Parts: sequence; C-alpha cells; structure tokens
Amino acid sequence: MTAEQHGTANTTTAMTTDDPIIEIRNAAVTYDGGETFVLDHVSASIERGEILGIVGESGSGKSMFADSLLDAIPDPGRLSGEILYHRDDGTTVDVLELSDDELREFRWEEVSMVFQGAMSSFNPTMKIGGHFKETLKAHDADVSAGMEFGRELLSDLYLDPERVLDSYPHELSGGMQQRALIALALILEPEVLVMDEPTAALDLLMQRSILTLLEDLQEKYDLTMVFITHDLPLVAELADRMAVMYAFQLIEVADREQLIGNSGHPYTRALLNATPDVEAPLEEMRPIEGQSPAPINVPPGCSFAPRCPLATEECRVEDPAFTRLDSGHAVACHHAEDAREEIALHFDRHEDSIPASGGDEQ
Amino acid sequence: MKRTEEDDPRTLVTDGAGVDWRGSSTSSVTVTREERLREIYEESVRKPFIVAWSDSRTRLGLLIIGFYFLIALVAILGLWREPSTSQAPRYLMLFENMNYPLGTTASGTDLAALIIHSTPDILLMVTSGGLWATGIAVFVGTVAGYKGGSVGRVLMSISDFVMAIPGLPLVMILAITFNPKNPILLGIIININYWAGLGRSIHSQVLTIRENNYVEASRTMGVSTPRIILKDVVPNIMPYVTVNFVFAARYVVFASIGLFFLGVLPYSDQNWGVTLNFAYSGGALFSWSAAHWLLVPMVAIIGLSIGLILLGQGMDRVFNPRVRTRLAGESESTAAVDEKDTGMTEVL
Amino acid sequence: MSNYYVRRTARVFATIFAVATLTFGLIRLLPGGPFTQLRAQLLRQGVPASEVDARIANLQNINPNAPLWQQYLDYMSSVAQGNFGESISLGEPVALIIAEAVPWTVFVVLVSTILMFAFGIFLGSLQAYWEGSRFDKAFSGLSIALMSIPFYVVAVISLYVFAYQWGWLPTAGTVGASVEKELSIPFLLSALEHSILPIFSYTLGGIGGQALAMRGNSIQVLGNDYVRVARLRGLADRRIATRYVARNAILPMYTGFLLLLGFRLSGTVILEQIFSYTGLGYYMFAALKANDYPLMMATFLVITVALIVGVYIADLTYSKIDPRISAGGSDEAY
Repeated sequence: MTAEQHGTANTTTAMTTDDPIIEIRNAAVTYDGGETFVLDHVSASIERGEILGIVGESGSGKSMFADSLLDAIPDPGRLSGEILYHRDDGTTVDVLELSDDELREFRWEEVSMVFQGAMSSFNPTMKIGGHFKETLKAHDADVSAGMEFGRELLSDLYLDPERVLDSYPHELSGGMQQRALIALALILEPEVLVMDEPTAALDLLMQRSILTLLEDLQEKYDLTMVFITHDLPLVAELADRMAVMYAFQLIEVADREQLIGNSGHPYTRALLNATPDVEAPLEEMRPIEGQSPAPINVPPGCSFAPRCPLATEECRVEDPAFTRLDSGHAVACHHAEDAREEIALHFDRHEDSIPASGGDEQ
Repeated sequence: MKRTEEDDPRTLVTDGAGVDWRGSSTSSVTVTREERLREIYEESVRKPFIVAWSDSRTRLGLLIIGFYFLIALVAILGLWREPSTSQAPRYLMLFENMNYPLGTTASGTDLAALIIHSTPDILLMVTSGGLWATGIAVFVGTVAGYKGGSVGRVLMSISDFVMAIPGLPLVMILAITFNPKNPILLGIIININYWAGLGRSIHSQVLTIRENNYVEASRTMGVSTPRIILKDVVPNIMPYVTVNFVFAARYVVFASIGLFFLGVLPYSDQNWGVTLNFAYSGGALFSWSAAHWLLVPMVAIIGLSIGLILLGQGMDRVFNPRVRTRLAGESESTAAVDEKDTGMTEVL
Repeated sequence: MSNYYVRRTARVFATIFAVATLTFGLIRLLPGGPFTQLRAQLLRQGVPASEVDARIANLQNINPNAPLWQQYLDYMSSVAQGNFGESISLGEPVALIIAEAVPWTVFVVLVSTILMFAFGIFLGSLQAYWEGSRFDKAFSGLSIALMSIPFYVVAVISLYVFAYQWGWLPTAGTVGASVEKELSIPFLLSALEHSILPIFSYTLGGIGGQALAMRGNSIQVLGNDYVRVARLRGLADRRIATRYVARNAILPMYTGFLLLLGFRLSGTVILEQIFSYTGLGYYMFAALKANDYPLMMATFLVITVALIVGVYIADLTYSKIDPRISAGGSDEAY
C-alpha cells in the first residue's frame, strides 16, 4: 500500500468532526527508513471535549498512535505526516513543525500523557511532590499556585494530597501511583490527556474506580481524552467514540453505540465475540484464529484478510479504503455490509449490557 | 526499537535469542531418558553456547583461553624444552635468538620454557578455585534461600562472618601454614572465602525464585527439596553463576600470581608470579636490557585475565537481564545485588 | 526498625569477637606454634632458659604454659583493651607500630578508591551517553584491558619507568629520609610525592570495572520509562542527567564503594610491599616473614575490623541514601 492511497482514502467525510482539537493526517512511523511502518499512514480527528477510545491488540501500533500525538516516538523511529493541533483561540499548529522549545511547551501544557505502568513513570529516588514541583518549574509556572492545584487534583482522585506528595513512588500502591500519575499529567491544565493502557497493571476493581474518576475529571476540567487499550469492554464504558486498530492502521471508527452494536469490520465483530462475558455460553466464545502480522510481513491487500472468514480475492489484492458506512461511522473493509449480516454478535445487546470487562490478551 | 514489535513489554521477556532458562523443570514424566538427555543438551549446552558465541567478546575470550589450553597441551606433551639454568646465553632479548624467542633470564633460562611449563598448573589452579568458589556459593545460596527459616539464617550468618575476614591476609596465613604444592589445593585456598559474597547474592535471587508458581507447584506436588533446588532453582541462577565463575577464576589468577610474586607461596613450582619475582629481585628493574624478563610474565598474566574478562563480559551481556532489559524496556531491581558482587571481584 | 539497628550493631561486635577468636586459633595453627620461634630468638639473644617463659608472658600478655582456655581469655582481654603485646621483630609495642602505619594506608586506599570511582563514573556515564559510538567502543575495550591488569603489574611497571629509569619519583618509603616527621609543607610535599605511584597503581586497574558498572547502570536507567516521561514533561536535559540518570545509576554503586574500601585494605599487603610503603600491609607482610605473630595478628585484626565497619556503615546508611531500599532488606524477611 502506498501513502497516496491512504491519504486520499482518509480525508473522506467520515473522519471529520465538527470541532476537532487534533487532526492526524497520514501519520506514519518507521524504524527502518520507510521499508516497513509500525504506524501505517493513519488519519483521524479528535473532537474537542470527547473521550475517544482506541482499541487494538498488543503490537497493533496503538502506542505509536498515542506517541505520535505528542511527537514522542521513541528513538530511532521517524514520524511523518501532519499532527494539526487547533488551539482554543482558533490558531492551528502542526506539532511536527514545532521547534524544540515550542514542543517542550506544547507537551504537558496542551497535550499530556499517562503511560502504562505508573511504577516506571516516576523517578524512584524522588518524592511524588518533587515531580510536581519540577514540572511546574520547567514550564515557568507559578509553583505555589500550581501545587495548590495539584493538591486539588489529588483530592479529586481520592488521594490524601499531603501524604502522597511526601511519599516516594514505591511507598504507594499501584492504584495510588496511577492516580498520582494522572494528577501529574494534569498539573499544567492541558486540553488533551492521552492515556496509553493506563489501567493495564491494575486489578479489576481499581480499573473501575479509575474509570469513574476519569469521567468526573473530564467533566470537571472539560478535558479531551484519548484512551488507548486492548480491553474493548473497558473503554466501551467510558468512550464517546471508539476506533479499532489492526496491523498498524485504523480499521473502524464509530460512535460507541455504533461500534459495539453495529460494527462493520469483521475484525471488530470477531473482537467483540472473543470478549469474555460471564453470561455468554462457552460455545459462543470465539477466539480469533491466527495472529496479527508483524510490521515486516503485513500482507498486500487487506491486512486482516488471512484471518478473515469473508475474505475474497479482492481483499487479498486491494487494500480496502476507509469509507463511510453510516453517519459518523467509517470502516476499512470491502465487505462491511456482509459482515454485519454474516458475523452474528453473540451477546445480547441491550442499552447498557456491554460485556464484562477483563478481556486479557496478556 | 522496543516499540516496533510489541506494545506490551511483558511479552518481550523471553527475548535474547529465545533461550528459556527455566528449561523443562515441570515437564511430564513420560519423556524417555534419551529425549530428556537430548533436551538437556539442547537447553543447557547448545543454545547457551550459540547465544554466547554470537557475542564477539565471548568469541575472542574463548579463543584466548583456548590458546592457553593449547600452550598447556604443549607443556604436557613435552613439545617444548624444560626450563633450566644456563641452558642458553644470558639476557637474550625478545626474538634476538629464535631458538629462545621470548629471550632468557639472568641465569640463562629460556623464558618461553618458564611460561609454557607454568601454564598447566595455573589453569588447574584457576579452574579448581573457580569451581570451589561457585560450587560452595551455589550450595549455600540455594539452600539458604530456598529453605529459609533458621537454616537460612545460620548459613547467611556464616557467610557474613566469612565475608568479614580479609581475603588476602587470610590466604597468606593459610599458605604459610599448609604450604600447599598441589595446584588444585592452592586454587581452593586462594578462594577460601570468595564464595561468601557470591553466596549472599545468589541467596537473594533464590528468595524471589522460590516464590515462582512452578516452584510452588513442585512443592505442593511433594517433590523433595534437593530435587526442587536442582531442577527448579539452580537452572535459573546458572547464567549468573557462569559469569561469576569466570570472575572467580580471574581472581585466582590475580591473587595467586601476586602471592607467588611476594614469595608467600612455595617457590618450587614454575609460575609466572615466580618468574616475575625473580625478575623483580634479580635486578630487572634497574636496566632496560632485562625489561623483557619482567614483561613476558606480565603479558602472560594479562592475556589470561583479558580472556577471562572478555568471556565474563560477553556472557554477562547475553545472560544479564539488566543489560538485556534495555531492549525489553522493563527493569528488575537486582542492581544493588549485582553491584555488590562486581565490587568484590575488583579487589585485585 | 530500631530493633534492626540494635541487632545489626550487636552483629558487628559478635563478628569482631569471632574474628579475634579465629586469629587466636590461627596462630596456633602455624608451623611450630606461636612461641617456638620466640623462644629460639630469646635464647639466641642470651636470655637464660629459665627466664624465657616469663619474658614471653611479659611480652605477649600470655603465659605459654597456661592451659589453652586461660591463654584464650588472656589474649581476648588484652585485645579488648587494645593491648596487642610487643612486636618480636621490631621490639616495639604493636599498638604503636599500627598507629603509625594506619594513616598511610588509609590515605592511599581512600584517595585511590575515590579517584577510581570518580574516573569510573565519569567515563562510564560518557560511554552510556554516547552508547554504541566509537568512543564507547574504544573505552569499553580500554576498560576491559584495565580490568585485566593486576595492580601489582602496574606498580612494578610504573616503579620501573618513573622511579628507576627516569628517576622522577622516589622508589620507596612514605616520606623522604631527610624530612622531619612533623606537619609542615616539606613533609606534606614529600608524603605526596611518595604516595603518587602507590595511588596511581592502585587506581588505574580499578577504573575499568567501575566504568563498566557505571555504563551498564546508566544505560539501564536511560531505558527506563521515567526518563522518557521526564523529557516529555519538559525538564531540562541537565536536570534529567543529574537528578534522574546519574542519581539512579550511582546510588547502587555506593555499597560497592564502602565494601571496596574495606577489601582494598587487604590488597595493600602486596601494594605496600612493592613500594616499601610502611603502612598496614607492609607490616603485615613483614610480620608474616619474620614470624612476628603479635604484629601479624594485630594487623589482621585491624584490617578485619575496618572491613566489618565498612559493611556495617554500608548497611545502615544505604537505606538513608537510596529510598528504594528499606533498612534490613528483603534478605531477612524469611
């Protein structure tokens, strides 16, 4: 597949939103000078104030997507394309064009990030409070006012501010560290919070409570959130819109309701059916046969074709373009309509009976 | 590059050319003896060797050590003349007379003969010292770590005590007391308390290993303690032990030659340290013309320790999860333990 | 927690006690036992045979004819009072000899160990910073080469070149023979001049190991997520280099530093011999050669106590310095 193909494909109306805060155009990440891509010319837009959930297996490129939003691809990866950020005041910048200093300001002040594994995100030999202070100082913010805000954030997250700020990371539990990290990400009042598997290392109960807290935060501070996870049911509880990644590309984007109940991509439907559900009879649980491809052997044509029950010759030859299915629902599949008919969703779809979370591929 | 293949670092832990060091400890009992042997060979001999060989430092280290074994073979087969006084003109320089390529000493002894005929004993000594240190350390470390409780406490107290005795002075006293001539015994005496520090760090590693599921499984299945230690625990620390065997061996080289040089160890045998001592006390310090007399044994010593260190470094790189985690992006906090240990091997 | 400190301190005394006992036993292991040599020596000096035992008892605070347990008690109680008897070969109180020797040894070991760590940390962090560069490869090779050279080889070569051949530096001793032993500029200069070669030889070989350790630690720290997060948070490179990378990479080396100080004391047995540097190690070896058991045992004990105290300080302070480690460690949990 080529960049051009995707470029044109992705600028369809399906992908535009009314008031985007970030528009990703043809973002591609390569580690070998363009031979293979670990983020394969992805375009998407993120609506101001929404919670966008991005779902994908391990190794589907979803972390690359998250890193791209801050132009923070780990070395020696190279990111190309455009990441357009629309400020509050109506001006627009391309994140990839920012100078080092501008980028330093942009990160954390405009777009901030929470990584998976809070334990490894804190300096083990520095107190939590030190992390807050140095961040404020590095951005020339008012430290005492900033720390006051930090305390408020920590309280919002049901933490005891004084105790947490005066603790070393290892003195806190995993859930506390994760919440402290979220507070640290919000200390400079960013517009967008990107979260890459923020709850992966936590137990189910803690995952739930963090999700609730995130919803509250989003409301209180009017945040735009990008929530990246492998756990479809988990993000389905939280997200306004959802996107599915497979083999380094976005394959389906839709409102939550649409994506859960009426998805058009065979992979999304298979993913939904592979999700453990306490109530689902065992024989209906369908693991997805085969493995997702590594970057060096993404097949020509549709990358899901080798595992797809509906794959035809067309799929193996031609990479499906991202096309609009319904309003606000886009999918990259030649047989989206067929998929809806031929792949039945096994769970009983009520208004709020999203399958129980806890789908673990790890 | 870590993020190219996996989003989840946990899945990368088995990286490192795919060697699974846990082996087949809990595999089913129905495998035949032959299959098991073949598997053991595959898992503990062939694969590690391939991994080790892939590192250029290990390769060079092995070549150097192989060369010393070759020299030892030359000595054992008697392919080079025995050293004796007045067998050649005095103070021949390096390559001055190709019959005596490494030159001769003040007493007209062939330096090459001195070096060559010292090699077998030195290799024996180095091996026995290394085996002794690592063997005791593995025994004490695994038993204390796995058994824990009062057994563990007693063993660790003993290690602490042994660690507290200064090695070199103790060895000197023992050497004078026992006057050991046997190179194997000598190796053991030199590393008489080397095992303690190593045993301590093995102990703390075993403390975490014993909490692993498969060890717990073996325990609930009623497998005997020695068997669990041998089958489930030891394979896990083998890489670490191998690396430290090399370091213990290097310590023997340094210490023994130092002590021969001081004249603490018996002079009767040929040894590079003795040669060095004779050169030193025989006036080689005062004139350039005898410089080679000092230089030749030094090069022999340094060569062997370079070989050992390259081997250790290379294997460390292959085995050590701390170095490997750079790729995996996940870290274990064994750092303190490791440092303590490398620290001690730096004494000489 | 305080319980741990009490136990740890008690263990120091227990260990010192045990080592003192061991030294007592070791003397009796040695060929001929502790007194044969002394007897012969006294007889040669013309002391009447009937008085020999009394003289020995006077010199060593031990009555050679008393039962072993009595000898042991006498020995232990005099050691506890800092009384190590009188040196046989030098005819001076052992405590006096040691008091004069210790400062020289401590000076050389302390300075060389600090230099070794300073250079090692500096080189290692540069290597990690430029990981994979030509500089890194060259210095990794150099580090391995340095690790492979025993310090006594460096000592002999530097003595050969700088002292004997070029005559830049003195060949032996702690200060010049003509210099008054008082605190003055000439004295300090002379002391410095005499210590250069011992310190140099004892430092050089150790740099390699420390550089490799620092390099490995730094590379590991650099690969940690918290460094990446710190960059994203916009922290200055300088702060990341010092507060994040250096701090987390150096801290694990702290215990090694204190342990090495102790261990390197025993290495002076060889070092000081080569430079005829009259420190602890020099006297230990001299005593060993002269069968001067009181002096030998005292030097042995002093080195041991230094070692034990080093480990003790390391254990107690590490948890204060590195917040990740809790005092007592996991070792004692079971």
